[in-house]
Amino acid sequence: MTIQALLGLAVLNAFLLGVGIAMLWAIRGWRSWAELARLSGFAYMLGVALVGVTLSLELVLDVPFSLAAILVTGAALMLSSVAVRQLFARWRPASACERPRALGFVGAAFGLLVAIYLEALFRAGRLAGLSAWDAWAFWVPKAKAIYFFGGLDEQFFRELANPTYPPLLPALEASAFHFMGSPDVITLHVQFWFFACGFAGAVAGLLAPRVPGVVLGPCLLLVIVAPRVAGRNLDPQADFLLDYLFALAALLVALWLLDHEPWQLVSASLLLGAAMLTKREGLLLAACVIAAALVAGWRDHRYAWPRLGVAAAVAVAVAVPWRIWFSYRDLEGELPEAGFLGLFGHLDRAWPAFESVLSTVLDYELWLVIPALAAAGVVLAFIAGARVLPTFALVLYGLLIAGFTWVLWSFTELELPFVQDEGVNPIVRLTGSLVVVSGGLLPLLLDAAWRGGDRVTLEES
Amino acid sequence: MSDDRRPIDNPTKQVDFNALLEWPRGIARLGVIFCLIVTAVLGVVYFVRAVDRLGDDAGRNAALNFDDREFAGGNSLVVDKRALYEARALIPEDGTYRVVAGPGVDGATELTEPYIDQFARSFLMPRRPAADARWILCYGCDVAELGGRFEVVWQNGAGIALGTIDE
Repeated sequence: MTIQALLGLAVLNAFLLGVGIAMLWAIRGWRSWAELARLSGFAYMLGVALVGVTLSLELVLDVPFSLAAILVTGAALMLSSVAVRQLFARWRPASACERPRALGFVGAAFGLLVAIYLEALFRAGRLAGLSAWDAWAFWVPKAKAIYFFGGLDEQFFRELANPTYPPLLPALEASAFHFMGSPDVITLHVQFWFFACGFAGAVAGLLAPRVPGVVLGPCLLLVIVAPRVAGRNLDPQADFLLDYLFALAALLVALWLLDHEPWQLVSASLLLGAAMLTKREGLLLAACVIAAALVAGWRDHRYAWPRLGVAAAVAVAVAVPWRIWFSYRDLEGELPEAGFLGLFGHLDRAWPAFESVLSTVLDYELWLVIPALAAAGVVLAFIAGARVLPTFALVLYGLLIAGFTWVLWSFTELELPFVQDEGVNPIVRLTGSLVVVSGGLLPLLLDAAWRGGDRVTLEES
Repeated sequence: MSDDRRPIDNPTKQVDFNALLEWPRGIARLGVIFCLIVTAVLGVVYFVRAVDRLGDDAGRNAALNFDDREFAGGNSLVVDKRALYEARALIPEDGTYRVVAGPGVDGATELTEPYIDQFARSFLMPRRPAADARWILCYGCDVAELGGRFEVVWQNGAGIALGTIDE
């Protein structure tokens, strides 16, 4: 760990923020510098997704990977944003619910706690060793291979474990190596601190105008200090980045169902595409988000469904080239051993799989009571008269649990009885997405339950 | 405008306690208050625990030397760090190598033999593993089975040797 490496990471993340701000300007714009500051966490995550997706596509297309290539890519994305802004100049931050509101004493206090926690997280991460098994076994080696050989080196991407796992995270890690000046696997943990900060800032920035600080602050704090989140979110592997991308996409789709602002769906589509290029589970998570939105958007289906279809198609299109790349090279491991329908030949696995999922989701030592609170939020929002938000959340949570059950059921190489040791059972990592998404949905649900409706409007309206 | 739009209302303001028992909105609001109390209390308790644990982690990481930090997860399977450092120093960056693992390493763990090859693959990059490589990292292997004259460049006397082979 050197000051040079830390400065390099700071420059890289400022660069990602810059690309994200350009995209935010293209699809949404802002009314004031204060509004831009509020949305800077969201802009950063947009930058992470946009640069990550673009670098992944460049790798698949065999574009040589280098510091110059990263910088040119970022510059091209910024210029493209200017062009997009010209085309879609009518898109504006429109809704009245975006008007700033006072943070309040309780909200400010919890905001301070979040800041203190992030400072402690930084101190823990800046000298951390590369301990997580998946991190040293294949995530970081793939990044090193991209860094050293300038692309998806056939030998290493074939011989390392899980060759079909997508390249977005290794591409971002390799970018970090270039900006640090060396493959510094110790300081690399700080990159994941930036991701955690970006996620917390994005949720806070997106929800601050519509959810009171007294609701938003405690919910966000609880999710980021949950034992499993606090203990593993700096591991240089894809699990938490996937969770952040998925959670933000789900939050944006929920907001879009209420507001119908184009920038929300455009952003969600990009984030879902990035999630699919981060881990193969991203496909499952994206399908759950789209399916939940289709159900929740039933009342507006003539408006909502075609747009959701386009958003899903764009996200899938982003992920297809990587699938072609590894299929062309006969790399295997993407699909369950039993195939999509072969699980019906293993009916004995269904109930134990469901039990394993449910016990993990409700494991207090991992996730505290966050899933129970989310369930309570859904019920309370329904009782209070809201419909769109709790329907979206209910279907999303239900599909996630069904999806995780399907994973354990159909991946027959996972032996019965299931144990919750993540070395042999992926369920702990999978369930993280359900908890992290609650960081955005829980405050929305509780706020809807308090107000007695889905949408926020101003008193004067 | 949808029928279910409601004005912004701050939960901390003007709580009518009698209204909290009315069905359905009062009960829903009571539920929200309960959920927020649970969330806030657990959030603060686990904030303290998380910051405490992260502080311990920071202290423990700072106390490690550079080797331990660089090997980290590899400490559970690497017996002698010098072997990999020597390999990194002696094998050219554009060179190839192979790791031949066996049971003959003093102090090996159950992870050493199956995974030392995997760890070396990352640690020694950009050097490439190759089945016919001249450079061999013998990690408890049987030298006689290497099939050629093994010229030892470095060894630790506990079953680990680095050298070249002429076949």
